[in-house]
Amino acid sequence: MAKDIFVFVELKEGAVRKVSLELLSKGKEIAGHFSSSLYAVLIGHNVKGIAATVQPYSDKVIVIDNEGLAEYRWDTYASVLEGILRKYNPYAVLGGSTVTGKDLFPRLAARFGSAIVSDAVGIDFHDSGIKIKKPLFGGKVISWITCSEDSAIFITFRPNSFGIEKGSLNGEVIEEQFEAAKDPKMNLAGTEKHVSEKVDLQEADFIICGGRGMKGPEHFQVLEEIAGIMGGRVGASRAVVDSKWREYEDQVGKSGKTVSPKLYIGCGISGALHHTMGMDTSKVIVAINKDPNAPIFHYADYGIVDDAFAVLPVLREALKKTREEI
Amino acid sequence: MNILIFIKQVADTEARIIIKGDHKSLEIENKYNMNFFDEFAVEEAMRIKEKNKDVQITVCTIGSQKAVEALRTAIAMGADRAFLLDGSKAATNDPLAISRILSAFAKKEGFDMILCGRQAIDDESANVGAMAAEFLGIPHVSAILKMEVVDGNAVKVENEIEGGRGIFEVKLPALFTTQKGLNEPRVPLITGVMKAMKASIPVVDPATLDIPQEAVAAEASKVTILSYESPQERPPVKIIEGETPEEKVKNLVKALKEDAKVL
Ligand SMILES: Cc1cc2nc3c(=O)[nH]c(=O)nc-3n(C[C@H](O)[C@H](O)[C@H](O)COP(=O)(O)OP(=O)(O)OC[C@H]3O[C@@H](n4cnc5c(N)ncnc54)[C@H](O)[C@@H]3O)c2cc1C
Repeated sequence: MAKDIFVFVELKEGAVRKVSLELLSKGKEIAGHFSSSLYAVLIGHNVKGIAATVQPYSDKVIVIDNEGLAEYRWDTYASVLEGILRKYNPYAVLGGSTVTGKDLFPRLAARFGSAIVSDAVGIDFHDSGIKIKKPLFGGKVISWITCSEDSAIFITFRPNSFGIEKGSLNGEVIEEQFEAAKDPKMNLAGTEKHVSEKVDLQEADFIICGGRGMKGPEHFQVLEEIAGIMGGRVGASRAVVDSKWREYEDQVGKSGKTVSPKLYIGCGISGALHHTMGMDTSKVIVAINKDPNAPIFHYADYGIVDDAFAVLPVLREALKKTREEI
Repeated sequence: MNILIFIKQVADTEARIIIKGDHKSLEIENKYNMNFFDEFAVEEAMRIKEKNKDVQITVCTIGSQKAVEALRTAIAMGADRAFLLDGSKAATNDPLAISRILSAFAKKEGFDMILCGRQAIDDESANVGAMAAEFLGIPHVSAILKMEVVDGNAVKVENEIEGGRGIFEVKLPALFTTQKGLNEPRVPLITGVMKAMKASIPVVDPATLDIPQEAVAAEASKVTILSYESPQERPPVKIIEGETPEEKVKNLVKALKEDAKVL
């Protein structure tokens, strides 16, 4: 049987999320190895127009467009995906280890009695199949996992685990109809979304994190300005969130979000294990701390030992200049 | 109302972990806690109990005898009863097997509401809650931040969704996974600790539960850990030279541009 790879395409405010393009890029490599097909699965309402975004990355694009799918809910999405997966029988289904992925994939894996590996960061070939790379214990250990192949393998990956390749395909669009069955016991009474122009913290390529050393919420303004210049996001340590200087959704670390941006800058952060567990997979780490013995320097690639308040305004201007040069 | 809580005992984040020579097993320093996110589940159950009549809180975990410690912590916080599901013969690395056993236990004990942490902080898997709900044929809501019992058989919850909050009205029985922000877990009182020390905690053999045994045995695991390895070490930090903040920033930007190539 062909080992077809499926990618569940996640949308945010009507646009394809970066993590989905990362997974399609990796998925193409896997399907190429198996000489099988890569399918993008696009579910929602008024999403037909979005197919064009994923066509260059996929051999086939399955679209299910239906009013009942306008808001994500596990019940409707799982019922539709169940129909698709039963019809197409893929080898593996990939999704993001995101709020949605973490809610949806386990429900489906249980329904199919399948292997599930979540929060993975890599994938490779093993024997005639695949092996999956997953950190354990906050990154202290890396495990490689193989899965039983008797039914579709479900895998969720952390955003920023793979690069996005240039898409040169032109995937055929297949429209499918499956019923979006609602669980009558669950009623979505409403949603509160903070409309935000900012990129998702987990998907950001650039994160500048402030810690207790920032002394107060007003001093995060300069971090916001730097994040704005870099098209990234401001993160925070738990000490900062507990002091209510920043929202919990900004928290990086063991009890917050796990991030792996291309560039992470920590300012006034000591580098406690609980914090570094959430950021030590960042590609490049810079620490700004006035204490040369701060543990964060064990994780950083580059360090500035100085007062953050003296460094940050200068850094803002320097980064602004580098942007202007492009 | 019967509230059932699934908890997990996990290695403390500070615990030393050594990968054994064969790369197939781990040696974990003897420092364990109740999973961070499970504390919110126990606390929420306590708050429901304090506000409503006839609430019984039952906690259970799958694990070795050692996991009884985590159950005792839950009793110290106020849970009424605890059960240890013997994990010695089960595929404990496989979320499918774990959720099958937990859901079979839940079915046997009966429940109106199940609570569990949104994910375990050792493997970050976030699977067992939703999977157990699927096996039980009940709805679930992930990562709840607020809960209100409307009457004996429905709750209103707010949860974390992509980019905001969702508000759900859910008929019981249902399962909810708990997120930081839901409440502030209490520190057990000494009287609670004393009660927990004395509590008898029955051990349940999963073989006595109504599940196909071949589906949950260690050999039946759908996932196999091939090997463990250490994370790649980072090279030592390069402390940026300079007399003034201006010089340091200049040198940093140069390094980020020319060496790291991230600007
Ligand atoms: C179960 C559990 C889960 C946790 N989860 C998380 C988590 O998810 N995320 C997280 O971040 N933490 C988490 N923590 C907390 C963590 O252990 C630390 O307490 C926290 O990260 C410390 O935050 P901080 O670095 O901002 O503050 P501190 O440790 O107080 O460090 C402040 C730093 O600022 C420096 N500084 C001060 N003034 C200046 C200045 N003017 N210029 C430059 N530097 C300056 C100091 O030298 C110091 O190094 C958790 C803890 C527990 C127990």
